[in-house]
Amino acid sequence: MSQLRELHSVIQVCEQLKEQISCEFVGLAMQNEGSPDVRWHYASGNLNDKYKRITVRFGKGIAGKIISSGSPMMLEEFPANIAGKVTDYPIMLAEKLVSTYAVPLFFNSVPKGVLLVGKREKYIFSEQEQEMVQDSASLLEQLLMGDIL
Amino acid sequence: MDPLKMKQKINSYIIDSQEEEIKRIALELHEGVGQNLYSILTGLQFIESGTQEPAMKNYVREMELLIGKTIQEIRLLSVELHPPALTTLGLLPAMKSYIKCYTSTFGILVDLNSDGIEKQIPEKDRIAVFRVCQEALMNIAKYADTSNVKINFFWKKDELKITIDDFGKGFQPKEYGDSSGLAVMKERMLLTGGQCVISSKIGEGTSVEISLPLE
Repeated sequence: MSQLRELHSVIQVCEQLKEQISCEFVGLAMQNEGSPDVRWHYASGNLNDKYKRITVRFGKGIAGKIISSGSPMMLEEFPANIAGKVTDYPIMLAEKLVSTYAVPLFFNSVPKGVLLVGKREKYIFSEQEQEMVQDSASLLEQLLMGDIL
Repeated sequence: MDPLKMKQKINSYIIDSQEEEIKRIALELHEGVGQNLYSILTGLQFIESGTQEPAMKNYVREMELLIGKTIQEIRLLSVELHPPALTTLGLLPAMKSYIKCYTSTFGILVDLNSDGIEKQIPEKDRIAVFRVCQEALMNIAKYADTSNVKINFFWKKDELKITIDDFGKGFQPKEYGDSSGLAVMKERMLLTGGQCVISSKIGEGTSVEISLPLE
């Protein structure tokens, strides 16, 4: 799992998605093997390498909430109208994201990952764009199935 | 009584009461809820070992992972509210432990150095200094746009001096002079008999200098 950011097919899916919906950031968070920790394993369009050191808190922030609820989530104008504190959203702060849409990645019917796209401006992701993110997430689920199970 | 002294006494009372309540909730989470969840986890592990059916075994394992995550989160929440190291081990070990958690939350690297021999500080002052450092680090995560922070502890004979430098984007101190967060940091240090000086320059970063008199 630690070499995930070197997996060519994963990079390809993420880069393609970034181009398709013209977003500035794509991130992939996955649960570590044999531990409840969820980390950002791959990022594209990142401003720094903070994402590599961030551990997603269960139930906190956008990725944490998605893993605990198993449902997609959208933020249109961070930090307006967020649940909790600004500091509960470390990836938004680290990457200076203002809008984001993120979906869960399911393995064995359990959410164990998050695919997140983001922009550094106020934005509402259209239904078509949301579908594109979902399609990429399904592709990633298939690609990573062997690593998870 | 002098109105200023009266105001300080009230502020001190409010802060102390809040800290007591925070400490109580943190302990309750750690010793109560956390321990109960741990018992549930042990029970689930026992069930898993006695289950033969693969699907059920897998389901129980997933439940164990979920409980494990919840225990970890309860522990983090408890430590975040009131680090036990602050009471048992002292200010410096508590800061070291907090910094580990801070880096894994925000991805910001903190270089902590201590010069001199650590001295015993009354718990009330220890908590005040810790909270001010915590507030400074939170402000860095929110506004500084930086990946590196340097914290220096200087233990002198009659004073503890702490400097926090973020090398981030900085701000115009005049524009944020009325910020309640910065005012609280200064007030908390004043109540201990110490001081908190915040200086910043656009493009060069922000520097927080805390001093606490030692007996």
